[in-house]
Amino acid sequence: MKRGFATAAASLAATMALSSTIVVSASADDIITEWASVKSPTAPALKPVTVDPKTTALLLLDFVPHDPYCGPGKPRCGATLPAVKQLLANARAHGAAVIYSVAGKYEAADIAKDVAPVANDLAVKSKADKFLNTDLEKILKEKGIQTVVVTGNSANAAVLYTGTGAALRGLKVVVPVDCISANEPFEEQLTVWQLAHGPGFGNQVTITKSDMIKF
Amino acid sequence: MKRNLFAAMLVLAGLSLPAHAANIIDEWANAKPPASPELKPAAVDTKTYALLVVDMVSETCNAKARPRCVETIPAIQKLLNDARSKGMAVIYALGVSGKEFVPALAPKDGEPIVKSGADKFINTDFEKILKDKGIKGVIVVGTLAYGGVLHTASQAALRGFKVVVPVDGMSSQNADTLYSEQYTAWHLANGPGLAANVTLTKTDMIKF
Repeated sequence: MKRGFATAAASLAATMALSSTIVVSASADDIITEWASVKSPTAPALKPVTVDPKTTALLLLDFVPHDPYCGPGKPRCGATLPAVKQLLANARAHGAAVIYSVAGKYEAADIAKDVAPVANDLAVKSKADKFLNTDLEKILKEKGIQTVVVTGNSANAAVLYTGTGAALRGLKVVVPVDCISANEPFEEQLTVWQLAHGPGFGNQVTITKSDMIKF
Repeated sequence: MKRNLFAAMLVLAGLSLPAHAANIIDEWANAKPPASPELKPAAVDTKTYALLVVDMVSETCNAKARPRCVETIPAIQKLLNDARSKGMAVIYALGVSGKEFVPALAPKDGEPIVKSGADKFINTDFEKILKDKGIKGVIVVGTLAYGGVLHTASQAALRGFKVVVPVDGMSSQNADTLYSEQYTAWHLANGPGLAANVTLTKTDMIKF
Protein backbone atom coordinates (compact mmCIF):
# COMPACT_ATOMS: atom_id res chain seq x y z
CA MET A 1 0.00 0.00 0.00
CA LYS A 2 1.32 3.40 -0.91
CA ARG A 3 1.83 5.65 2.07
CA GLY A 4 -0.10 8.40 0.35
CA PHE A 5 -3.15 6.16 0.10
CA ALA A 6 -2.84 5.10 3.71
CA THR A 7 -3.52 8.53 5.10
CA ALA A 8 -6.85 7.80 6.71
CA ALA A 9 -5.65 4.60 8.32
CA ALA A 10 -2.47 6.18 9.54
CA SER A 11 -4.30 9.24 10.86
CA LEU A 12 -6.54 6.92 12.80
CA ALA A 13 -3.54 5.04 14.08
CA ALA A 14 -1.88 8.30 15.08
CA THR A 15 -5.06 9.43 16.81
CA MET A 16 -5.12 6.17 18.75
CA ALA A 17 -1.51 6.70 19.72
CA LEU A 18 -2.31 10.21 20.87
CA SER A 19 -5.38 9.32 22.85
CA SER A 20 -4.11 6.27 24.66
CA THR A 21 -0.91 4.70 25.83
CA ILE A 22 -0.87 2.29 22.92
CA VAL A 23 2.19 2.72 20.77
CA VAL A 24 1.28 1.88 17.21
CA SER A 25 4.17 0.40 15.32
CA ALA A 26 4.93 2.10 12.03
CA SER A 27 3.34 -0.03 9.36
CA ALA A 28 3.12 2.63 6.66
CA ASP A 29 5.43 2.41 3.70
CA ASP A 30 8.23 4.91 3.38
CA ILE A 31 9.90 6.74 0.53
CA ILE A 32 12.23 3.81 -0.17
CA THR A 33 9.40 1.36 -0.80
CA GLU A 34 7.57 4.03 -2.78
CA TRP A 35 10.67 4.96 -4.80
CA ALA A 36 9.47 3.76 -8.19
CA SER A 37 6.14 5.56 -7.92
CA VAL A 38 7.62 9.02 -7.43
CA LYS A 39 6.84 11.44 -10.24
CA SER A 40 9.29 14.17 -11.17
CA PRO A 41 7.89 17.65 -10.63
CA THR A 42 7.53 20.30 -13.31
CA ALA A 43 10.67 22.27 -14.03
CA PRO A 44 10.72 25.74 -12.48
CA ALA A 45 10.29 28.61 -14.95
CA LEU A 46 13.47 30.55 -15.71
CA LYS A 47 12.95 34.19 -14.84
CA PRO A 48 14.74 37.29 -16.06
CA VAL A 49 16.34 39.20 -13.22
CA THR A 50 17.94 42.62 -12.85
CA VAL A 51 20.51 42.96 -10.08
CA ASP A 52 22.09 46.11 -8.64
CA PRO A 53 25.85 45.80 -9.20
CA LYS A 54 26.53 47.93 -6.08
CA THR A 55 24.91 45.39 -3.77
CA THR A 56 25.45 42.17 -5.75
CA ALA A 57 28.27 39.67 -5.54
CA LEU A 58 28.95 36.99 -8.12
CA LEU A 59 30.10 33.80 -6.39
CA LEU A 60 32.26 31.35 -8.35
CA LEU A 61 32.48 28.17 -6.33
CA ASP A 62 35.22 25.60 -6.77
CA PHE A 63 36.07 26.15 -10.44
CA VAL A 64 39.34 24.30 -9.94
CA PRO A 65 40.28 22.35 -13.09
CA HIS A 66 41.22 19.23 -11.16
CA ASP A 67 39.08 16.34 -9.96
CA PRO A 68 37.00 16.09 -7.88
CA TYR A 69 36.12 19.73 -8.64
CA CYS A 70 35.95 20.99 -12.25
CA GLY A 71 38.46 18.52 -13.67
CA PRO A 72 38.46 16.05 -16.58
CA GLY A 73 36.15 13.76 -14.62
CA LYS A 74 33.51 16.52 -14.50
CA PRO A 75 32.56 17.23 -18.14
CA ARG A 76 29.32 18.87 -17.09
CA CYS A 77 31.35 21.45 -15.17
CA GLY A 78 33.67 22.12 -18.11
CA ALA A 79 30.60 22.68 -20.27
CA THR A 80 29.48 25.55 -18.01
CA LEU A 81 32.75 27.51 -18.25
CA PRO A 82 31.87 29.58 -21.38
CA ALA A 83 28.65 30.83 -19.76
CA VAL A 84 30.42 31.50 -16.45
CA LYS A 85 33.18 33.38 -18.30
CA GLN A 86 30.64 35.63 -20.03
CA LEU A 87 28.71 36.23 -16.80
CA LEU A 88 31.96 37.08 -15.02
CA ALA A 89 32.86 39.59 -17.74
CA ASN A 90 29.44 41.23 -17.41
CA ALA A 91 29.72 41.39 -13.63
CA ARG A 92 33.19 42.95 -13.80
CA ALA A 93 32.12 45.44 -16.49
CA HIS A 94 29.41 46.70 -14.16
CA GLY A 95 31.59 46.75 -11.08
CA ALA A 96 29.84 43.97 -9.15
CA ALA A 97 31.86 42.22 -6.46
CA VAL A 98 33.34 38.87 -7.43
CA ILE A 99 34.07 36.27 -4.76
CA TYR A 100 35.64 32.87 -5.32
CA SER A 101 35.88 29.70 -3.35
CA VAL A 102 38.23 26.76 -3.41
CA ALA A 103 38.35 23.56 -1.42
CA GLY A 104 40.70 20.78 -0.42
CA LYS A 105 44.36 21.34 -1.23
CA TYR A 106 43.69 24.03 -3.83
CA GLU A 107 44.17 27.80 -3.62
CA ALA A 108 42.88 30.76 -5.62
CA ALA A 109 45.86 30.48 -7.97
CA ASP A 110 44.59 27.05 -9.05
CA ILE A 111 41.24 28.32 -10.40
CA ALA A 112 40.52 27.65 -14.09
CA LYS A 113 42.19 30.29 -16.31
CA ASP A 114 39.00 31.18 -18.20
CA VAL A 115 37.32 32.35 -15.01
CA ALA A 116 40.37 33.17 -12.87
CA PRO A 117 40.43 35.87 -10.18
CA VAL A 118 42.14 39.22 -10.71
CA ALA A 119 43.66 41.57 -8.15
CA ASN A 120 41.32 42.43 -5.24
CA ASP A 121 38.97 39.50 -5.86
CA LEU A 122 38.49 37.58 -2.64
CA ALA A 123 38.52 33.83 -2.23
CA VAL A 124 37.30 31.72 0.68
CA LYS A 125 38.23 28.14 1.35
CA SER A 126 35.91 25.57 2.85
CA LYS A 127 34.13 22.33 2.24
CA ALA A 128 30.68 22.29 0.64
CA ASP A 129 29.10 25.13 2.64
CA LYS A 130 31.24 28.19 1.97
CA PHE A 131 29.80 29.99 5.01
CA LEU A 132 31.18 27.28 7.29
CA ASN A 133 34.53 28.23 8.89
CA THR A 134 35.12 31.14 6.51
CA ASP A 135 34.73 34.94 6.49
CA LEU A 136 32.14 34.82 3.71
CA GLU A 137 29.31 36.21 5.83
CA LYS A 138 31.57 38.99 7.15
CA ILE A 139 32.82 39.82 3.65
CA LEU A 140 29.29 40.07 2.29
CA LYS A 141 28.18 42.29 5.18
CA GLU A 142 31.17 44.61 4.89
CA LYS A 143 30.53 45.07 1.19
CA GLY A 144 26.84 45.73 1.79
CA ILE A 145 25.87 42.78 -0.41
CA GLN A 146 22.17 42.00 -0.59
CA THR A 147 22.12 39.66 -3.59
CA VAL A 148 24.42 36.80 -4.53
CA VAL A 149 24.57 35.18 -7.96
CA VAL A 150 25.73 31.64 -7.29
CA THR A 151 27.68 29.62 -9.87
CA GLY A 152 29.85 26.57 -9.43
CA ASN A 153 30.40 22.93 -8.90
CA SER A 154 29.10 20.78 -7.38
CA ALA A 155 25.57 22.00 -7.77
CA ASN A 156 24.41 19.57 -5.10
CA ALA A 157 27.06 20.62 -2.59
CA ALA A 158 28.76 24.03 -2.84
CA VAL A 159 25.90 25.66 -4.77
CA LEU A 160 23.11 24.02 -2.77
CA TYR A 161 24.51 24.76 0.69
CA THR A 162 25.98 28.17 -0.05
CA GLY A 163 22.85 29.26 -1.90
CA THR A 164 20.63 28.00 0.91
CA GLY A 165 22.93 29.52 3.53
CA ALA A 166 22.75 32.91 1.79
CA ALA A 167 18.96 32.79 1.56
CA LEU A 168 18.61 31.75 5.22
CA ARG A 169 20.85 34.72 6.12
CA GLY A 170 18.42 37.07 4.41
CA LEU A 171 20.16 37.55 1.06
CA LYS A 172 18.49 37.34 -2.34
CA VAL A 173 19.91 34.45 -4.32
CA VAL A 174 20.13 34.19 -8.12
CA VAL A 175 21.02 30.82 -9.65
CA PRO A 176 21.78 30.63 -13.39
CA VAL A 177 21.18 27.00 -14.36
CA ASP A 178 23.75 27.09 -17.17
CA CYS A 179 26.49 27.95 -14.64
CA ILE A 180 25.99 25.10 -12.17
CA SER A 181 26.84 21.45 -12.62
CA ALA A 182 27.00 18.08 -10.94
CA ASN A 183 27.87 14.56 -12.06
CA GLU A 184 24.35 13.62 -13.09
CA PRO A 185 21.25 15.50 -14.25
CA PHE A 186 19.28 14.17 -11.25
CA GLU A 187 21.70 15.94 -8.93
CA GLU A 188 21.31 19.23 -10.77
CA GLN A 189 17.55 18.78 -10.87
CA LEU A 190 17.25 18.22 -7.13
CA THR A 191 19.45 21.26 -6.52
CA VAL A 192 17.38 23.54 -8.72
CA TRP A 193 14.09 22.26 -7.33
CA GLN A 194 15.30 22.50 -3.75
CA LEU A 195 16.59 26.04 -4.17
CA ALA A 196 13.36 27.10 -5.89
CA HIS A 197 11.08 25.46 -3.31
CA GLY A 198 13.13 25.34 -0.11
CA PRO A 199 10.78 25.79 2.86
CA GLY A 200 11.11 29.31 4.21
CA PHE A 201 13.77 30.42 1.75
CA GLY A 202 12.73 29.42 -1.79
CA ASN A 203 10.90 32.72 -2.13
CA GLN A 204 14.24 34.51 -1.97
CA VAL A 205 15.71 32.48 -4.82
CA THR A 206 15.44 33.23 -8.53
CA ILE A 207 16.18 30.42 -10.98
CA THR A 208 17.43 31.89 -14.26
CA LYS A 209 20.02 31.63 -17.02
CA SER A 210 23.20 33.64 -17.31
CA ASP A 211 21.94 35.62 -20.33
CA MET A 212 18.75 36.54 -18.45
CA ILE A 213 20.71 38.38 -15.71
CA LYS A 214 21.00 42.15 -16.17
CA PHE A 215 23.36 44.20 -14.05
CA MET B 1 22.64 11.87 -20.61
CA LYS B 2 25.86 13.80 -20.51
CA ARG B 3 25.61 17.40 -21.55
CA ASN B 4 28.36 17.05 -24.22
CA LEU B 5 26.73 13.99 -25.67
CA PHE B 6 23.41 15.79 -25.78
CA ALA B 7 25.00 18.64 -27.73
CA ALA B 8 26.69 16.20 -30.10
CA MET B 9 23.40 14.44 -30.75
CA LEU B 10 21.73 17.72 -31.60
CA VAL B 11 24.44 18.34 -34.20
CA LEU B 12 24.08 14.81 -35.62
CA ALA B 13 20.34 15.25 -35.78
CA GLY B 14 20.86 18.33 -37.93
CA LEU B 15 19.33 20.58 -35.31
CA SER B 16 20.78 23.97 -34.68
CA LEU B 17 23.04 23.98 -31.65
CA PRO B 18 21.79 26.34 -28.97
CA ALA B 19 24.02 29.26 -28.05
CA HIS B 20 24.74 27.61 -24.71
CA ALA B 21 25.27 24.03 -23.74
CA ALA B 22 22.11 22.31 -22.60
CA ASN B 23 21.21 23.05 -19.01
CA ILE B 24 19.19 21.11 -16.47
CA ILE B 25 15.94 22.84 -17.38
CA ASP B 26 16.35 21.64 -20.99
CA GLU B 27 17.30 18.19 -19.72
CA TRP B 28 14.64 18.03 -17.01
CA ALA B 29 12.81 15.02 -18.44
CA ASN B 30 16.08 13.08 -18.70
CA ALA B 31 16.91 13.51 -15.04
CA LYS B 32 15.84 10.03 -13.98
CA PRO B 33 16.17 9.18 -10.31
CA PRO B 34 18.94 6.75 -9.46
CA ALA B 35 18.26 3.45 -7.71
CA SER B 36 16.97 3.84 -4.18
CA PRO B 37 19.69 4.00 -1.53
CA GLU B 38 20.13 0.96 0.68
CA LEU B 39 18.87 1.38 4.22
CA LYS B 40 21.54 0.36 6.70
CA PRO B 41 21.36 -0.68 10.33
CA ALA B 42 22.61 2.00 12.72
CA ALA B 43 24.21 1.34 16.08
CA VAL B 44 24.11 4.42 18.29
CA ASP B 45 25.95 5.01 21.53
CA THR B 46 23.35 6.43 23.91
CA LYS B 47 26.00 8.51 25.72
CA THR B 48 27.33 10.32 22.66
CA TYR B 49 24.27 10.51 20.42
CA ALA B 50 21.34 12.91 20.63
CA LEU B 51 17.88 12.59 19.12
CA LEU B 52 16.83 15.75 17.33
CA VAL B 53 13.09 16.22 16.74
CA VAL B 54 12.57 18.86 14.07
CA ASP B 55 9.45 21.04 13.71
CA MET B 56 6.90 18.43 14.82
CA VAL B 57 4.22 21.01 15.61
CA SER B 58 0.45 20.77 15.38
CA GLU B 59 0.14 23.91 13.23
CA THR B 60 1.65 22.02 10.29
CA CYS B 61 1.86 18.35 11.30
CA ASN B 62 -1.86 17.69 10.92
CA ALA B 63 -3.98 15.60 8.56
CA LYS B 64 -4.99 18.59 6.47
CA ALA B 65 -1.66 20.36 5.97
CA ARG B 66 0.77 17.43 6.08
CA PRO B 67 -0.78 13.96 6.16
CA ARG B 68 2.70 12.52 5.49
CA CYS B 69 3.87 14.07 8.75
CA VAL B 70 0.99 12.60 10.78
CA GLU B 71 1.98 9.16 9.50
CA THR B 72 5.46 9.48 11.01
CA ILE B 73 4.23 10.26 14.54
CA PRO B 74 4.00 6.64 15.80
CA ALA B 75 7.52 5.76 14.63
CA ILE B 76 8.97 8.96 16.09
CA GLN B 77 7.08 8.41 19.35
CA LYS B 78 8.57 4.94 19.70
CA LEU B 79 12.05 6.24 18.94
CA LEU B 80 11.60 9.03 21.46
CA ASN B 81 10.44 6.60 24.14
CA ASP B 82 13.40 4.32 23.44
CA ALA B 83 15.87 7.21 23.49
CA ARG B 84 14.54 8.57 26.79
CA SER B 85 14.47 5.16 28.41
CA LYS B 86 18.14 4.72 27.51
CA GLY B 87 19.02 8.16 28.88
CA MET B 88 19.91 9.66 25.51
CA ALA B 89 19.91 13.41 25.03
CA VAL B 90 16.77 14.66 23.29
CA ILE B 91 16.79 18.07 21.60
CA TYR B 92 13.91 19.84 19.89
CA ALA B 93 13.86 22.31 17.05
CA LEU B 94 11.13 24.74 16.15
CA GLY B 95 10.72 26.76 12.99
CA VAL B 96 10.13 30.47 12.79
CA SER B 97 6.37 30.23 13.39
CA GLY B 98 5.31 26.85 14.88
CA LYS B 99 4.77 26.73 18.65
CA GLU B 100 2.46 23.84 19.59
CA PHE B 101 4.33 20.56 19.80
CA VAL B 102 2.50 17.48 18.58
CA PRO B 103 1.22 16.26 22.00
CA ALA B 104 2.58 12.71 21.68
CA LEU B 105 6.05 14.13 20.99
CA ALA B 106 6.16 17.06 23.41
CA PRO B 107 9.46 17.86 25.13
CA LYS B 108 10.07 16.98 28.77
CA ASP B 109 11.50 19.43 31.28
CA GLY B 110 15.12 20.18 30.58
CA GLU B 111 15.14 19.07 26.96
CA PRO B 112 16.60 21.98 24.99
CA ILE B 113 14.65 23.71 22.24
CA VAL B 114 16.38 25.60 19.43
CA LYS B 115 14.55 27.83 17.01
CA SER B 116 15.57 28.65 13.45
CA GLY B 117 14.67 28.22 9.79
CA ALA B 118 15.61 25.13 7.80
CA ASP B 119 19.18 24.99 9.11
CA LYS B 120 18.95 24.70 12.90
CA PHE B 121 22.62 25.61 13.29
CA ILE B 122 22.08 29.17 12.02
CA ASN B 123 21.59 31.75 14.80
CA THR B 124 21.07 29.12 17.52
CA ASP B 125 23.07 27.43 20.29
CA PHE B 126 22.54 24.03 18.69
CA GLU B 127 26.20 23.29 17.98
CA LYS B 128 27.20 24.54 21.44
CA ILE B 129 24.53 22.36 23.09
CA LEU B 130 25.84 19.32 21.20
CA LYS B 131 29.46 20.06 22.09
CA ASP B 132 28.72 20.83 25.75
CA LYS B 133 26.98 17.47 26.06
CA GLY B 134 29.86 15.68 24.36
CA ILE B 135 27.60 14.62 21.50
CA LYS B 136 29.30 13.03 18.48
CA GLY B 137 26.26 11.95 16.54
CA VAL B 138 22.61 12.91 16.00
CA ILE B 139 19.53 11.02 14.94
CA VAL B 140 17.44 13.49 12.95
CA VAL B 141 13.67 13.08 12.59
CA GLY B 142 10.93 15.50 11.69
CA THR B 143 9.45 17.66 8.99
CA LEU B 144 9.87 18.93 6.39
CA ALA B 145 12.19 16.30 5.01
CA TYR B 146 13.57 18.80 2.50
CA GLY B 147 13.68 21.66 5.01
CA GLY B 148 14.72 21.19 8.62
CA VAL B 149 15.74 17.55 8.19
CA LEU B 150 17.81 17.93 5.02
CA HIS B 151 19.59 21.10 6.02
CA THR B 152 20.18 20.30 9.67
CA ALA B 153 21.33 16.74 8.91
CA SER B 154 23.63 17.99 6.12
CA GLN B 155 25.09 20.71 8.29
CA ALA B 156 25.65 18.30 11.16
CA ALA B 157 27.54 15.98 8.79
CA LEU B 158 29.60 18.86 7.35
CA ARG B 159 30.47 19.88 10.91
CA GLY B 160 31.83 16.40 11.58
CA PHE B 161 28.96 14.82 13.49
CA LYS B 162 27.73 11.34 12.63
CA VAL B 163 24.15 11.56 11.41
CA VAL B 164 21.43 8.91 11.40
CA VAL B 165 18.25 9.62 9.42
CA PRO B 166 15.38 7.10 9.53
CA VAL B 167 13.23 7.49 6.40
CA ASP B 168 10.07 6.61 8.33
CA GLY B 169 10.75 9.50 10.69
CA MET B 170 10.91 12.25 8.05
CA SER B 171 8.11 13.65 5.96
CA SER B 172 7.06 16.06 3.27
CA GLN B 173 3.51 17.34 2.94
CA ASN B 174 1.48 14.80 0.98
CA ALA B 175 1.40 12.32 -1.90
CA ASP B 176 2.17 15.13 -4.37
CA THR B 177 5.48 15.99 -2.72
CA LEU B 178 7.16 12.57 -2.70
CA TYR B 179 9.87 13.85 -5.05
CA SER B 180 11.20 16.01 -2.22
CA GLU B 181 11.44 13.00 0.10
CA GLN B 182 13.07 10.96 -2.65
CA TYR B 183 15.86 13.41 -3.36
CA THR B 184 16.34 14.14 0.33
CA ALA B 185 16.88 10.44 1.00
CA TRP B 186 19.18 10.09 -2.00
CA HIS B 187 21.13 13.23 -1.22
CA LEU B 188 21.67 12.35 2.43
CA ALA B 189 22.98 8.90 1.46
CA ASN B 190 25.08 10.02 -1.52
CA GLY B 191 25.64 13.77 -1.43
CA PRO B 192 29.21 15.04 -1.79
CA GLY B 193 30.85 15.27 1.62
CA LEU B 194 27.94 13.60 3.39
CA ALA B 195 28.18 9.87 2.70
CA ALA B 196 31.01 9.25 5.17
CA ASN B 197 29.00 10.65 8.07
CA VAL B 198 25.38 9.86 7.22
CA THR B 199 23.49 6.59 7.73
CA LEU B 200 20.11 6.36 6.03
CA THR B 201 18.00 3.85 7.93
CA LYS B 202 14.58 3.06 9.42
CA THR B 203 13.56 3.53 13.03
CA ASP B 204 13.39 -0.22 13.65
CA MET B 205 16.95 -0.63 12.32
CA ILE B 206 18.39 1.69 14.98
CA LYS B 207 20.03 -0.22 17.83
CA PHE B 208 20.85 1.53 21.08
